[in-house]
Amino acid sequence: MDSRPSDEMLLAAVAERDMGAFRTLYERHAGWLAIRLARRCNDRDLVADAIQDTFVAVWQRPQGFRGDGDIAAWLWGIAIRRLVSRLRTRGSVAAVFENPGAAPAAEDQVLLSVEYGDIGQALARLSPEMRAVIQAVVLDGLSAREAAQLLHVPVSSVKTRLYRAKAHLRAALAEGSS
Amino acid sequence: MTGWHLDDDALRRYVERTDSLAEGTSAEQHLLSCEQCRGRVTAAVDVIDFAAVWDRTRDAVEVPRPSVFERLLRVAGLPAHEARLVAVASAFRGVWLTGVVAVLAFAALAAAIGHTRGMWLFLAVAPIVPCLVVASSYDPRMDPALEPELVTPYPALRLILLRTIAVLALALPAMLLFGLVVPGEAAFAWLLPAVGFVTVVLAASTWVSPLRAAIAVSLAWLATVWLLAARSSSPESVLQARAQAAFLALAAASFSIFLLRRRWLRQLRPWR
Repeated sequence: MDSRPSDEMLLAAVAERDMGAFRTLYERHAGWLAIRLARRCNDRDLVADAIQDTFVAVWQRPQGFRGDGDIAAWLWGIAIRRLVSRLRTRGSVAAVFENPGAAPAAEDQVLLSVEYGDIGQALARLSPEMRAVIQAVVLDGLSAREAAQLLHVPVSSVKTRLYRAKAHLRAALAEGSS
Repeated sequence: MTGWHLDDDALRRYVERTDSLAEGTSAEQHLLSCEQCRGRVTAAVDVIDFAAVWDRTRDAVEVPRPSVFERLLRVAGLPAHEARLVAVASAFRGVWLTGVVAVLAFAALAAAIGHTRGMWLFLAVAPIVPCLVVASSYDPRMDPALEPELVTPYPALRLILLRTIAVLALALPAMLLFGLVVPGEAAFAWLLPAVGFVTVVLAASTWVSPLRAAIAVSLAWLATVWLLAARSSSPESVLQARAQAAFLALAAASFSIFLLRRRWLRQLRPWR
């Protein structure tokens, strides 16, 4: 493990225009970034474009990473915004959120409640639209505007859905604990 | 990190997207900070063609960033690919511009210092510079980038006009600036001849190579100036309203010919 250069070293080499380090960085990160994007947008071409944009952006501005936190988190921040921006320019192409595991098997459900407690069940009870908004805004940290572009809905819908989803979760958790 | 890692089942569900939102979110949070699990996910993912995307990415970063001038053209509203076509014209490469500026500077200096003879020199050089620059901006021998451009179906007329306008937009202000050094009305007298020669070159390029046309026009103009200088000692003759009107007529006529014969522009390639 120690012989492998760290992401920080690779990024520093990329800043020095080292194509080999750039390739290593790509091989290390393109995969998980792509699957994470693909979970938010089922158009594979768009995902591929967003991955390309992400690494082009990294090449052009490696100094954008300020050295705080993980390079992986920084890369993800670029990737999700590149996806949103691709969606905006494509316009008409619908980005459909996959509905992850609409009905988990019973044993998974048990595992879930053990591992995540009531929150997992509360999330599972949300409608797909609300879950998508929760995922985009709360978990991916997008702004309401970016989330609206990603989900192809008006900003106002994002806000109301988020409000309702939070109310649902709050109620579900309060119910579970009492 | 914590010793906790995604187990194989969870990893498979994550990659196949059959997990729940809570499970997926948990996996994603873990992946951000765990290099080991990221590696395992990356090895299991084939959602896109990573080799192809890498090739595209590498190609994209190896293309030089657009020059300042090209970005300026884009800001002015030109689509990206056209901005590239206009900007690759050799006239915009630094060496060329430096050469043009140097020639003009010498001519303007000579005019400012050397009285009549210097004025003749300025009047001889200034009007032919724009047409030489325009010609070189789309002559295939001067500009290797033209070759792929002209085999692609692209309206040659539009390309050449765009480039001509861009060249003139660069060259004319520079020349006007030098003209300010020159005393009297001569500073602006060369403008109409210059425009006339550019249009002559455009029209002539429907028959011969633009560079050849520009050189011919330049030689003709130099000969005329030399004759005028030999006969009368005053450079004022070029400034007369009649002479200026003639240049205007020349420009109008040449431009009409250029527009009438524009389809011959498509045969740019056989000059090579």
